[in-house]
Amino acid sequence: MASAREWLPRESLVWIFAAQFVALLPQCTQLPLWIPFTWAFAVYWRLEVFRGRRDLPGRPLKLLVTLLAIAGLALSYQNWFALEPMVALLALSFTLKNLELVNRRDAFVSLLLAYFVAATLFVREQTIPFAVYGLLCVVVITAALAAQLGRPSAHPRRALGLSTRLLAQATPLMLLLFVAVPRLGPLWSVPQDTSTGRTGVSDSMAPGDFTRLSRSGKPVLRIAFDGPIPPPEQRYWRGLVYSEFDGRTWRQGFAVDPRNGGRVYWNSGERPLPQVGPRYRYQVIQEASHAPWLFALARPDSDSAGVGTTDDDRLVKRTPVFNRFAYEVRSWPRGSRGATVPLSSAERRRNLQLPPSGNARTREWMERLRRQGLDASAISAQLLARYNREFTYTLSPPALGSDSVDAFLFDSRQGFCEHFAGSYVFAMRAAGVPARVVAGYQGGEWVSGEEYLLVREYDAHAWAEIWHHGRGWQRVDPTAAVSPERVRDGLESAAGAEFMQDALLPWHRVDILVKLRLQWDRINYRWYQTVVSFDQDRQRDYLLRLLGEISPLRMALLFLVPMAVVLLGLLLWIWRGGQGRKLPPAERLYDKFCRRMARAGLVRSTGETPRDYAQRIIEARPQLAALARRVTDAFERAAYGEDQTAQKALRKLLRWRLVLPGSIQDARHGQAPTEH
Amino acid sequence: MSSNGFAVQKIVSAIVSDVGRVLLGKERQVQLALACLLSKGHLLIEDLPGMGKTTLAHALAQVLGLSYKRVQFTSDMLPADILGVSIFDRESGQFRFHEGPVFSQVLLADEINRSSPKTQSALLEAMEERQVSADGETRQLPQPFFVIATQNPLQQSGTFTLPESQLDRFLMRISLGYPPREAERALYLGADPRRQLAEIKPRIDSNTLKKMQHLVGQVKTSESLLDYLERLVLHTRRSPDCAVGLSPRGALALLCAAKAWALIHNRGHVLPEDIQAVLPSVAGHRLQSDGGNGDQLVERLMRQVDIIAA
Repeated sequence: MASAREWLPRESLVWIFAAQFVALLPQCTQLPLWIPFTWAFAVYWRLEVFRGRRDLPGRPLKLLVTLLAIAGLALSYQNWFALEPMVALLALSFTLKNLELVNRRDAFVSLLLAYFVAATLFVREQTIPFAVYGLLCVVVITAALAAQLGRPSAHPRRALGLSTRLLAQATPLMLLLFVAVPRLGPLWSVPQDTSTGRTGVSDSMAPGDFTRLSRSGKPVLRIAFDGPIPPPEQRYWRGLVYSEFDGRTWRQGFAVDPRNGGRVYWNSGERPLPQVGPRYRYQVIQEASHAPWLFALARPDSDSAGVGTTDDDRLVKRTPVFNRFAYEVRSWPRGSRGATVPLSSAERRRNLQLPPSGNARTREWMERLRRQGLDASAISAQLLARYNREFTYTLSPPALGSDSVDAFLFDSRQGFCEHFAGSYVFAMRAAGVPARVVAGYQGGEWVSGEEYLLVREYDAHAWAEIWHHGRGWQRVDPTAAVSPERVRDGLESAAGAEFMQDALLPWHRVDILVKLRLQWDRINYRWYQTVVSFDQDRQRDYLLRLLGEISPLRMALLFLVPMAVVLLGLLLWIWRGGQGRKLPPAERLYDKFCRRMARAGLVRSTGETPRDYAQRIIEARPQLAALARRVTDAFERAAYGEDQTAQKALRKLLRWRLVLPGSIQDARHGQAPTEH
Repeated sequence: MSSNGFAVQKIVSAIVSDVGRVLLGKERQVQLALACLLSKGHLLIEDLPGMGKTTLAHALAQVLGLSYKRVQFTSDMLPADILGVSIFDRESGQFRFHEGPVFSQVLLADEINRSSPKTQSALLEAMEERQVSADGETRQLPQPFFVIATQNPLQQSGTFTLPESQLDRFLMRISLGYPPREAERALYLGADPRRQLAEIKPRIDSNTLKKMQHLVGQVKTSESLLDYLERLVLHTRRSPDCAVGLSPRGALALLCAAKAWALIHNRGHVLPEDIQAVLPSVAGHRLQSDGGNGDQLVERLMRQVDIIAA
């Protein structure tokens, strides 16, 4: 054990605990609740030790505490190989280190650990507020490090000032490293132990699901186009295909869900692409959804790593989207495609599947239509016409009975997109036309001109696709038949007063707030675009743009040139500093006055006292007499009487360039008055 | 500055005008001499005979209300003539010390450089330590104690050079020079200076003098001013012109004299002007050069060192 002399003083301890608190605070919501308590207890113990009321725990006790902590972790987390337990382990060891915080070396260990704990913040969130908080953490931890240097530097203002200065000086280096250091793959691809908190469109659709989504204004997708932009009625962001219906809920079903036998083409080119070029190119930034499906316009293809396409023209990600994820997409709209492959019998069977019984009235009606000899488009037209005539689009539809399709089609006749899509597909299948429900988002809102399209939760939508012989899958949006403005202008105009009715406060009605929110979203988008999504590819692009080519020589230059510039600047600064001390403020101000006077032709000679100089000025330029007197007087009081108010007065006197007009005037009159 | 319940300015102007009545047209020199005494320094007045050196010394002592004794230095003088001697007292049967003229508040050492170095150095201890050692006994001199010495220029016959150590003990050396024309005319017309001298009444007592000396110590010196002082001193030490630079004692003397000058001019802080005003008197006899005398050196010094750091 260290001798008493080496024990950490009070201010060191306080700073360390402050740094720990700041680093642990954002973790508190994620960690098991007992870890913050453990921290508080460890801090309490350490403070008791400081007061001399208790001893530091001995080896057996420490061992016991460690074992208890590990047991606690084991109980709190089932899955060990995941990110959360690891973060918790780090936080816990960080916490327990307080029990052996004795000398300065321990303090350094603890504070260096604090940097790591602060960094784990970004595992979860990479948004601007968290980045700002992370910065704050670094400032505080660095200040705590600075405070270990001794009592004078532990003063809060001095420590924080030093820390801020150090970090400011480190910023250029940080930027350089950010740009130039090789990027490893996503470090955060360690599995995350979360299946909760899923948002957005889910892998099943039951009546009411989309109504729930319509109440949330959370951003989901941000789409930036490179080139042509699809018209509003074409903006269907497909994410999921439901082909299995059990009478109430639509599911993806076997061989559609990639986790359930669905085929995914991971390598681009594996699935033949159309011969013509893609019509749309765009980048999608998707918020964390904790689900693997991605959203894109029909017939998408993506070169982004970890993204594959499926047989039913969707994009999926290899691992669920735990964090914001950006992917590049090319899309070929369906109409532009040539002849299509016929529907395989398995697929045909899947898209005609219906529960064995239930919804008899719908089946009967469809049977009647089929018997009339109508083809797929005619039946579809009949159905849509019926929707158009008799149905109402509402966000709060009445509850439906067990035969939900019958109840909707023949009784309630009011509903939301999922009702229209579900009943339409049911009816088409009953009529013998292969059909499926497609879910995703529709529409979006432009942010700042047409920089990017912001798609929110309430843009969630369900529509249908039916199979036409020779034309393949065609999109049919039954909702558009009822409420065309939903597709054209978005939910807000379609639902009218019902829109976001359940929101606590009607923020969406306050125009300025809506604008502010869009502004904030745009800032976030840029942040993500430039900082968070700066991965290997972007780094390469950026360096290529910067250097022309990526070669060892140019990389070395990239590092060495700024460094040489900085070092040269430093050298110059030191050299200049060696030449002469910085003038005290009053003298600097007076020097300014002298220089102005010199410009006016009155140079103060070396060794001339301010009064003599003032006298000379007054004799040569009587119009400057008042100024010269006041400046000289203020300077004398400031520099020699150490009068602060005089210094302020001097600064004020010299702020106005009173000298110049006079001097110019004089110059015009000639130098004669100065000479004699 | 009018602290401590009395107006320094008033006293100063009274003293200067009183002395000025005897020594016409020499206000600046009177002020310098006063500054020297206020900063507890000894004063050396150097000039040709008949310029009023003794008159100034006399008038100063009188106006300050101090007890003074005058010693005319000659080449055959011995230290005992200044310090005092022990004489056997037959009645008490022991030696009794008879204090010399040095035991007074002001010692006027007239024509100090006419005595031999031995006698001059007898003054050394008295001037610096303000005490006298004779016959193995140390005796304190009265407070305050000033030596106002006059000397003839070195070119004059019958003079010994004052050793540097002795010169350094004088805070200031001033010279009077010929009086201005009007002053001299007034002198011709005026009454007998000797009688006027006798008419000078003390303006202050030694307590007031002490207070004023105390006030000198309280005059503020700012960082900027000390910087200037430092630059001046460094310049004398580095410049090839000066054979010997200013000693720390010289620098302190300069600062102290400048403070007194500032006080005399009713300021609570020292200005570079103050330093420049006392610089020739304080540094002139301390600096030595290979060619030219100290005064020219000081002139150059003031021109070469800037008030504000460049």
